[in-house]
Amino acid sequence: MRNNHTTGEYAISNAEARLASRTGTPAMDNDAFAGFYQRSAPSLHAYLARVSGNTALAEDLMQESYLRFLCATWPEGGEVNCRRYLFRIATNLLRDHWRRPRTASIEDVPERLLTSADATSGVHAQASLDPAMARMRPRDRQLLWLAHAEGYSHREIAEIMGLGAASVRLLLFRARRKMARMLREQTVPDRRKA
Amino acid sequence: MTIRTCSHETELAQALKAGHWPDGCPPDLRTHVGACRNCSELVLLTQAFQRARSESCTSVPADLASLLWWRAQLRRRNAANRRTSRPISIAQSFALLVNLAVAIVFVAWQYHHGLRWASWGSELELARVLHPFDIGSRLDGNALLVCSIGMLALLSGLVVYLASEKS
Repeated sequence: MRNNHTTGEYAISNAEARLASRTGTPAMDNDAFAGFYQRSAPSLHAYLARVSGNTALAEDLMQESYLRFLCATWPEGGEVNCRRYLFRIATNLLRDHWRRPRTASIEDVPERLLTSADATSGVHAQASLDPAMARMRPRDRQLLWLAHAEGYSHREIAEIMGLGAASVRLLLFRARRKMARMLREQTVPDRRKA
Repeated sequence: MTIRTCSHETELAQALKAGHWPDGCPPDLRTHVGACRNCSELVLLTQAFQRARSESCTSVPADLASLLWWRAQLRRRNAANRRTSRPISIAQSFALLVNLAVAIVFVAWQYHHGLRWASWGSELELARVLHPFDIGSRLDGNALLVCSIGMLALLSGLVVYLASEKS
């Protein structure tokens, strides 16, 4: 029986990924990649946009993540591992972006400041999460999103972020406590206003 | 900071991930969450992040996948070209260095032997006057020198051309 840890019409099998790593050629053809892209792009875009706080930057980084993913040798383990690998590339790109010296540019202005309030969708969740997210350290934002939005385990987050599993546990615990405190502080004044 | 874990955390995390919270959970777990700080924080954060995720997960244009695919093909091909042309670039640089070294050695050697070629002009004039039909024999010693300079100039030109062609 073929060992296939994948789902969906265009899912990638272990055998194909192994073949790609041996030959250096892509295991996915154009159609297969289109399917993988459709399944993974929304969550990757959400991760990049929420963690960076900049939609334009998120789009750039998402495209670069997919380009690097397609040019790299893919990990074994089917689509689940490919998806995790994609998040790892995106996480490294975000880290590189934050390490670069900052220059004042129109690109750096968060998009929500450039668009009108009624043009934005999901105002409620943004209003509750974004101010607290903005006050968190970049690494904590990544940890929290991967754990609570994507549902990755400590081991998977460690793999994506290049950290030790024990460090992830401690860092995530601290970040969670801080974030929860900020969310509670935010909701108390809201209730008082109401 | 000490990490305090709760024995219900794993069960609660699974319920949240599966979307069973709160209605699909046993009443004792719900009561526990109300009293446990860890579990209440887990619920608060997971719900906030899940809501944010569902609102941010918009559909993406399908044609972008095709564009990315071709861009990746192009990038991979360029990388392969760079890999294959690296030995040629190294050979070109080596040839340029050898040419420069030969030129320097040649000039130094000539300088050491008193710059004899500087008097060629006057020798040629004198030879033309004295032996108008025997110029070749007068220049026997210098013929090799002329050929060497010519060859060196030709090779240098070729190497410089090949090195600059890529850029």
